[in-house]
Amino acid sequence: MQTFWVSLKEDLSLTDRLMIFCALALAVWGVVCIYSAASGTAGHGFDYAFRQAAWLSVSVAAMLAVMIIGHDKMLEGAYPLFGLTLLLLLLTLLAPKVNGAQSWLGIGGVRFQPSEFAKVTIILMMSKFMSRYPPLDFKTFMMCLGVIMLPVFLVLIQPDAGSALVYLVISFGMLLAAGTPMKYLLGLAGLGLSAIPVMFMFGLKEYQKNRILVFIDPMRDPLGAGYNVIQSRIAVGSGGMTGKGFMMGTQSKLKFLPEPHTDFIFSVFSEEFGFIGNMILIVLFSVLLCRVIMAGVRSKERRCKILVAGVASWLWFQMCESMGMSIGLLPITGLPLPFLSYGGSSLLASFIALGLVASIYIEGGNSRHGF
Amino acid sequence: MEILDSRLKLLLGLMAVSVFILVGGLCLCQVYQSDKYVRLAHNNRLRMIRFPAPRGEIFDRNGVPLAVNDTTFCIMGYPLDLNTPEELEHLSKILMRHGIPFTVSELEKTIKQQRLAPYRVMKIVPNLTMTQMAELVADYEFPRELFPLSVWRRTYPAGTTAANIVGYVGEISEGELKARSEEGYTGGDLIGKSGIERSYEAVLRGAPGQEALEVDARGRKIRTIDANPAVKGEDLRLTIDMGAQKLAVELLKGWKGAIVAMDVHTGAVIALASSPVYDNNPLSWGVSGREWNSIMNDPERPMLNRAIAGVYPPASTFKAFMSIAALEEDAITQSTMISCRGGLRFGSHLFKCWKHSGHGALNVIGGLQHSCDVFFYQTGLRTGIEKLIKWGRKFHLGEPTGIDLPGESGGNIAGPDWKMRRFNSAWAGGDTVNYSIGQGYMLMTPIQIAREYAAIANGGKIVTPHLCAKGYRKPEDMGINPAKLEIVRRGLEAVVSRGTGSRAGRFGVHVAGKTGTAQNSHGDDHALFAGYAPAEAPKYVAVAVVEGGKHGSSVAGPMVGQILAHLLSH
Repeated sequence: MQTFWVSLKEDLSLTDRLMIFCALALAVWGVVCIYSAASGTAGHGFDYAFRQAAWLSVSVAAMLAVMIIGHDKMLEGAYPLFGLTLLLLLLTLLAPKVNGAQSWLGIGGVRFQPSEFAKVTIILMMSKFMSRYPPLDFKTFMMCLGVIMLPVFLVLIQPDAGSALVYLVISFGMLLAAGTPMKYLLGLAGLGLSAIPVMFMFGLKEYQKNRILVFIDPMRDPLGAGYNVIQSRIAVGSGGMTGKGFMMGTQSKLKFLPEPHTDFIFSVFSEEFGFIGNMILIVLFSVLLCRVIMAGVRSKERRCKILVAGVASWLWFQMCESMGMSIGLLPITGLPLPFLSYGGSSLLASFIALGLVASIYIEGGNSRHGF
Repeated sequence: MEILDSRLKLLLGLMAVSVFILVGGLCLCQVYQSDKYVRLAHNNRLRMIRFPAPRGEIFDRNGVPLAVNDTTFCIMGYPLDLNTPEELEHLSKILMRHGIPFTVSELEKTIKQQRLAPYRVMKIVPNLTMTQMAELVADYEFPRELFPLSVWRRTYPAGTTAANIVGYVGEISEGELKARSEEGYTGGDLIGKSGIERSYEAVLRGAPGQEALEVDARGRKIRTIDANPAVKGEDLRLTIDMGAQKLAVELLKGWKGAIVAMDVHTGAVIALASSPVYDNNPLSWGVSGREWNSIMNDPERPMLNRAIAGVYPPASTFKAFMSIAALEEDAITQSTMISCRGGLRFGSHLFKCWKHSGHGALNVIGGLQHSCDVFFYQTGLRTGIEKLIKWGRKFHLGEPTGIDLPGESGGNIAGPDWKMRRFNSAWAGGDTVNYSIGQGYMLMTPIQIAREYAAIANGGKIVTPHLCAKGYRKPEDMGINPAKLEIVRRGLEAVVSRGTGSRAGRFGVHVAGKTGTAQNSHGDDHALFAGYAPAEAPKYVAVAVVEGGKHGSSVAGPMVGQILAHLLSH
């Protein structure tokens, strides 16, 4: 026990406290926003905020635990963890549907989304795999792609296209960091883009097609699918420079915004805190992302550099998508805004990932000092 | 390794570019076009209004209304239209002018209670009649920003006569809202709180309607864009006969107790009275906390439905059950004679017969006719408690009858296992002696006694009492030997024709039944009578329990006689 506290103290003094501060600031601000967002409809603000705060404390504890265990040990377990993830994703397909998708598993009254935790295990798996088989030639490149397609396929049939997209972006970021030749990467990106029309014709569900059409022209269905885009944009825009003030947002309180505490938390935030609040939010996110990448640059290990690229791509993509969709820059996908959106699984998974990065940061410092 | 670091920096660069685009978008939206969106938010012109469905109405078996909906009106408005004291004073003046007493401070209080958001509509004056509302709207000074909303109000024409059956509705509570989160209730909805209103809530409630309104910047309705009408709940026709119910309530006036009348073959309950009564009308309109407390803390407990939740020792009415159990278990036969000398010495204790001089030698028919305690002490001891409990379970004693009303009590079948659990002491022979005359630990509700006698009357079938056809369950045959049952029925006929229950037979119908006098440690003994008629081909069973009525023969018997006579003559 004694050694545990000593090592925790030591780890905390050596790790990237600025990164952890940014994450905590975002998460706490998230709890405050959730209180406001959920207060409007049925007046459950306190319930939701309380539950999110409880998840936050669990998440912070998990982050510290991962830090103490260290990324080294976590990477050792990467393959079995990845296998377990695939198994859980398979199990979710047997679970009852929530909002038309099977993405939840319940254990003893606590429900969680394996697809969120999969992000962490995919990152662990891929960084281990790519450092052993660097994707420098076509064969290894295809092997890497093959591995990543397994979880992508499993979430696609849930159906959860949002998570599949995140997995692909994470892998792309990691392939980039692993030094994959540019021609392969550009080829992959080109293939992805050219697949869009094909997907649109055959692969997407009606509501997904609608979301994309509405993204192009929200007015084509102002009371249906386009409604959310318009209402969300009104929420953000009417926030103005300084916002309407905490708990004063009319768009969210009057139920114009759907899912205000999860998918559209950013719209609630923007309406109440305005452009200035958004800038503070973006600075917090930017500093966080910089520090995640810096942890990789500091490290002397190949697999760690690849790992941080995965974490950074993940957080970056979800942040951009969540913010972008609320002002109509990007189509609606229903991805949570990291650290802010209501949801225990997402919060816990993000903090576990930060625990890995924090551990890499400590290790990087050690080797620089020649330990 | 070098390439990896440069790739990481490239990634950072890409991220920086995207963040700049994002900031640009936000700047455009929140700074340059902000005015446009502020205006749009302010003019946000869609409001969804949900209005509750009228509840299904409740009638008795002949179509007499027991629960109906009245239309009343509320004045609705937005907080921002009633911001200044002048506006409030103006409104109060107009209301007073039309005879609606609402002072400025009362208005202030209502508004303060509901003020959540400036755009949220609230109820300013509730419960107005159609004429009051029409006059108000016609008044040229009436503020145009306020608007009327029609709401349903539940009224109970039968009031106190059937309150214990029909129950009442009230605004859904926080707890009910949580428990029924899947069923589409929202705050402010009415929900059945007791009685039929509660047990048939799902049938009665209907489906709420929705209206999409286009409103102006202040939220006032301009036009309806889309409407989804409310669907009225299903009407219910009960098995109750209000004539018999009214008679039962009148018979109990001045007493505490219950009367149950039921069809012996189906279990359809025709009268279910509990005294004292309460009025369910004010409860469904919302009473103040003080009024509520005075009802709940009334020592007479009017809200206790004594017919299904009042538990009493069945006393001598239990002797019919004893006879069946003993005959079926061959502990006695019709010719078994037992001699009563005014008491039975068991161990060191003398168990007395109610007739201290004794009844002499009796068989089971005489034992029932004279309600001889000693005969049943002996019968109980010969049968044994285990077999009595076995028959008690066959009769479903000690468990709720399953009547379609909430809050039913199961009574207590007692017995050795129960006594061990409850008092941690063994069942003694003396307990069986007491048990045999329905005293001691055995407790039953009036509805349970009615079901027991219905089974005797219908040839040994256990019915499920119900107030609505939806509550009918197929009777369960206990397989009692018809010849043995006939012996008991002859005994019950003798009770009324020439025994202790003769006063039940003075109303022109041929009644068979049994009196009972339950010892009450808190005061006068409780009077009971359970009977059915016509004795030769029974149709109805009735039970009366009168708390502190002293003797079953003099108080409860005539009540049952009158109810049965009423049922057979109508």
